[in-house]
Amino acid sequence: MDELLAVVGYKVRSSDMAEVAQKLEQLEEAMGNARDGISQLSNDTVHFNPADISNWLETMINNLDVPPPPHPPLPQQHSGKAIYTTAAATADSLSPSSKRVKPSPAESSSSTRPLVLVDSQENGIRLVHTLMACAEAVHQNNLSLAEALVKQIGFLAVSQVGAMRKVATYFAEALARRIYGLYPENPIHHSFSDMLQIHFYETCPYLKFAHFTANQAILEAFQGKNRVHVIDFSMNQGMQWPALMQALALRPGGPPAFRLTGIGPPAADNSDHLQEVGWKLAQLAETIHVEFEYRGFVANSLADLDASMLELRPSETEAVAVNSVFELHKLLARPGAVEKVLSVVRQIRPEIVTVVEQEANHNGPGFLDRFTESLHYYSTMFDSLEGSVNSQDKVMSEVYLGKQICNVVACEGVDRVERHETLGQWRTRFGSAGFTPVHLGSNAFKQASMLLALFAGGDGYRVEENNGCLMLGWHTRPLIATSAWQLATKSVVAH
Amino acid sequence: MRTKSSITEKRIEEHSFLCLSSSKTIKNRVHQHTPCSTVFAMKRPISRDGDGNGDLLKMKKVKVDGDANAEENCVLRGMRYFDDNVLFEVLKHVDARTLAMASCVNKQWHKTAQDERLWELICTKQWANTGCGEEQLRSVVLALGGFRRLHSLYLRPLSKPYSSSSSSSSSSPTSSSVWGPISQAAVAPRPKPLPPRLGKDAVHLSLSLLSIRFYEKMSNFNNRTR
Repeated sequence: MDELLAVVGYKVRSSDMAEVAQKLEQLEEAMGNARDGISQLSNDTVHFNPADISNWLETMINNLDVPPPPHPPLPQQHSGKAIYTTAAATADSLSPSSKRVKPSPAESSSSTRPLVLVDSQENGIRLVHTLMACAEAVHQNNLSLAEALVKQIGFLAVSQVGAMRKVATYFAEALARRIYGLYPENPIHHSFSDMLQIHFYETCPYLKFAHFTANQAILEAFQGKNRVHVIDFSMNQGMQWPALMQALALRPGGPPAFRLTGIGPPAADNSDHLQEVGWKLAQLAETIHVEFEYRGFVANSLADLDASMLELRPSETEAVAVNSVFELHKLLARPGAVEKVLSVVRQIRPEIVTVVEQEANHNGPGFLDRFTESLHYYSTMFDSLEGSVNSQDKVMSEVYLGKQICNVVACEGVDRVERHETLGQWRTRFGSAGFTPVHLGSNAFKQASMLLALFAGGDGYRVEENNGCLMLGWHTRPLIATSAWQLATKSVVAH
Repeated sequence: MRTKSSITEKRIEEHSFLCLSSSKTIKNRVHQHTPCSTVFAMKRPISRDGDGNGDLLKMKKVKVDGDANAEENCVLRGMRYFDDNVLFEVLKHVDARTLAMASCVNKQWHKTAQDERLWELICTKQWANTGCGEEQLRSVVLALGGFRRLHSLYLRPLSKPYSSSSSSSSSSPTSSSVWGPISQAAVAPRPKPLPPRLGKDAVHLSLSLLSIRFYEKMSNFNNRTR
C-alpha cells in the first residue's frame, strides 16, 4: 500500500498507482465533458469501499459511460536500487515527508497532475536504460551508437538529483573515455590518491571498518608473543597502525616489541613518504612506550617482492602478520602475479594474513557484465555517502570512487587494476594457495557495529557475518569484506 | 600529588565545617549520586591518591563530630576558603555531567574540574575490567590525549545508545549472523541518569579512536592533504 495515501485514509497499491492516475484523468475529463450528467454520480452511484480508490474510480467511470482512451501502459518495473527520484510537490493534505528522497524503489504519490510525476520517475528509468544500452553498444563495438547514447546520458543525468546524478556522470565520463580512446593517465599521482583516500577514510566507515576488523584478528593472533612483526601491503598513511599499537600497549603484561614493514608504490615527487609515515608512527610508539622498529619498502607491484628482502627473523622469536587492504585485487591484472605473491606470503610463514577487499565481481570476462555489476555497486556506495555531513570530504570521496569507476569501465589489460572479486572467489584462491580460514571473533563484530552506531548518518550500514568473515554493507548490499587466513599446515584452529 | 604542607590543622578544621554548611548544592548532588556514602563517611576507597588524602578526610570526620561552634564562624567567611584540594575531593564523587558543569563555574573550578585524575575516575567507574594495570592504562591514555577527551569524544556517545532518551542510534545495525544485533536494552533505563557500564568492546573502540585522533593531529599530517 502506498504510505502517503494511507495517511489520509485511502488504500491504493503502489503497483496500481499509474492506473489510478490514468483513471483520475479520465474521470476528470469525463466530468468536464458531461455537462448534464454529473448529479447522477452523487445520487445514484453506489460505492462499497471508498478507501479503495481504484475501484471507486472504476465505478464512477462506468457510471459516466466513458470509453477508456487508449493510454500506453506506463513502465512500472525498473531495476530497483539504482533509481532515485524526488516526489514532486504534492497537495498539502498529503504527508509532509513527501519531499524526502527515499532510498528505495520510487513511490509516486497521487496529485491533481499525475503525469508530471511519472515523467521524473521515467527519466530515472530512461537514464539507467540508456547507460545499459550505451554499455551494450560499446561491448558490440558499435561506437557511433555509443557516442550518441553517451551524449543523451549527459542530459538525463542532469535531471536527476543526489547519488544517481553523480554515479551517472562518472559512468558517462568513463564510457566516453572508452569510446574516444582517452584513457586516463596511469598510475595516478600517488600523493593525490593518498589525499583522496584520507578524505574517504573520514567520510564513511569502510576503511575504518577494514582496519578495526583486521586489527582485531591480528591482535588475537599475536596473543602471548613477545616480538611481533606486521608486514603491510597497503601502507598509505599508516592509519591502521595507531590503534593496533595502542591495543598492544594496553595488553595485560605489557606491550610486545613491535616491528612494522610498510610496502607501497613509489611517490612521483621522489619524496620518501613511506619513511615519513614511519617516523610519525615511531613518535607515536615512543609516546605510548612501545618498542618500535620500522622499514619501508618501495615497490611498483607486490609481485616484485621476495621473502628474502624482508629480513625475516626466525619464527620462534618473531610472530608475523601480513595485512592487505584493497591491494590484492590489483595483482589480477598480470597473470601469475597473485599466485607469486601468495607463495611469497607462504614463505614468510605468518601467524595470520588479513585481507580486506571490495565485495563485488568487477573482473568478469565480458564488458557488459562488469559494467552492470559496477553500476550497482557504485550506486550503492554513493548512496551511503549521501548521508555524510562534511561536504568537502564527501566530494573528495566521490572523486576517489570516480577514479575507480573510470578504471573499471575505461581501462583494459594491465592498466585495469580495479579487478575486484567477491569473497567467494578469494576463498577459492586462498584455499588453493594453501591457506585455511581463520574465523573473526564476535568482539570484532561488536566493535564494528558500535563503530557504525557512532557514525553520523549511519542508519543504513549493516555488518554481516559470513562464515567467519565480516562484511560491511549498505542496507542489503554488502560492499566490503574482511577475511583472515593462516597456513594450512598449522594444526591449531583459532576458536 | 597536591602538597598538603601549606594547610595547617586549623584550616582543615575550618574547611571541614565550610563543606558541611556552605556547599549545600554540591553536597546535595554528591548525595544524589553516591547514595551510599557522604563526603565524610568515605566508604568508597580513594586510595588512588595515596594515603595523604585518606588521612585528611579521617581528620575531617573527627573534627566534624567534635566542634559545633565553629560552624557559625565559617559561614561568615564564605567561599574564599573553599580551596582547590577540598573542591577536588568533592568533585571526585560527582558524575560526568556535573563535573563538566562544574568546570563552567569560575576559573578555580575550571582548573580543578579539568584535572585528568577526576576524569580518570569517571571513565574507569564506567568500565568493565580492561585487564591491564592502572598505571599502564593511565600512561597510555594520558599520552594519547587524556581521559577527559576520551570521555567526551567517545565514551559518552557510546553510552548514549543505552540510555532511554537517545534516539540517534535507535536503529541498531541489523545483521543476518548468528551473533545478532547488539542488545539495545543491555542496561535498563533508570530514572536517574547513572552512567551504565560500558563493555570491553566499547572501551577498546574508544581507546582505538583516541589513538587514531592523536595520530591524525600529529604535525605533518595536514600538510599531506595540501
